[in-house]
Amino acid sequence: MLDWPTAAPAVTAAFVASTVEVTEAFTIVLAVASVRGWRPALTGALAGLVLLAIVVAALGPVLNLVPLNALQIVVGVLLLLFGLGWLRKAVLRAAGLMALHDEDAIYQREAARIHGDTKSGAAADGVAAMASFQAVLLEGLEVVFIVLAVGAPRAGRPSLMLPASLGALAAFIVVMAVGLLIRKPLALVPENTLKFGVGVMLSAFGVFWTSEGIRAPWPGDDWALFGLAAAFLIVALALVALARPRKAVLAS
Amino acid sequence: MNVVREVLEELWSMFVGDRRLTLLTLMVVVIAAAVSLLAKATTVAAVLIFVGAVAVLADAVFQAARKARG
Repeated sequence: MLDWPTAAPAVTAAFVASTVEVTEAFTIVLAVASVRGWRPALTGALAGLVLLAIVVAALGPVLNLVPLNALQIVVGVLLLLFGLGWLRKAVLRAAGLMALHDEDAIYQREAARIHGDTKSGAAADGVAAMASFQAVLLEGLEVVFIVLAVGAPRAGRPSLMLPASLGALAAFIVVMAVGLLIRKPLALVPENTLKFGVGVMLSAFGVFWTSEGIRAPWPGDDWALFGLAAAFLIVALALVALARPRKAVLAS
Repeated sequence: MNVVREVLEELWSMFVGDRRLTLLTLMVVVIAAAVSLLAKATTVAAVLIFVGAVAVLADAVFQAARKARG
């Protein structure tokens, strides 16, 4: 039976991270649809989803064959690399040293790229479908990795794969519902804030899993995840303040 | 083929986009594993991973900040 402190971080991390990824994929699919119509956009997106399902179906049984400690180390290190990389970018963006992720700009750029690439009808639809396919596959693979990472099994504990998958599914439904309702790029999604939060959570998960993998579990068990996340948040906010250019500090 | 290459490049950059960050993180994990398995100091090893991760993050941020400022 899953308890709240165990399931909550997995659900939250998967939901927030997936919101960012699904928003990015949706922006490109929408750009494709605006240039070539919904048919090639949805054909590409559907093909991407089918390939993702095949990857997940193939990965599941393989995970059961890997020894638990090895799995925890691999997942923990990958999470650390992914989380620290994401947090680094989020800190630099928050400090004004890197351009913010702009869904409107991405939408315009993708629409212009597809428009520029396309000349005749059939070839144009193929290029458009491929752009849609690639976006869904890439962002989807990141979602799959996050779900696998935060839901990976632990010794003597229930797997968190179900709550993590539900978090990702909820993000997919929310983004699709809002996106299809407004039919515009979801520029209002505070992507850098979400990425900041996800970077904090993934880094905390990464430290936690890696520690368990090398048989150095944290005192407090699952509750340590909250402490690690809080510590990473404080460190990241301090880094934003320290990295911010002096002029920007004076101006603000 | 182009799509496959782009997908693989994107996946590679997810984890090894910043080589210095990747190498330092792996070093931290190896040192912590040695402390845990050889010295049997499990709590020290756990704290080492956290402190190491924070140091790697700080290094990556300050290095990128220096580059951004020219």
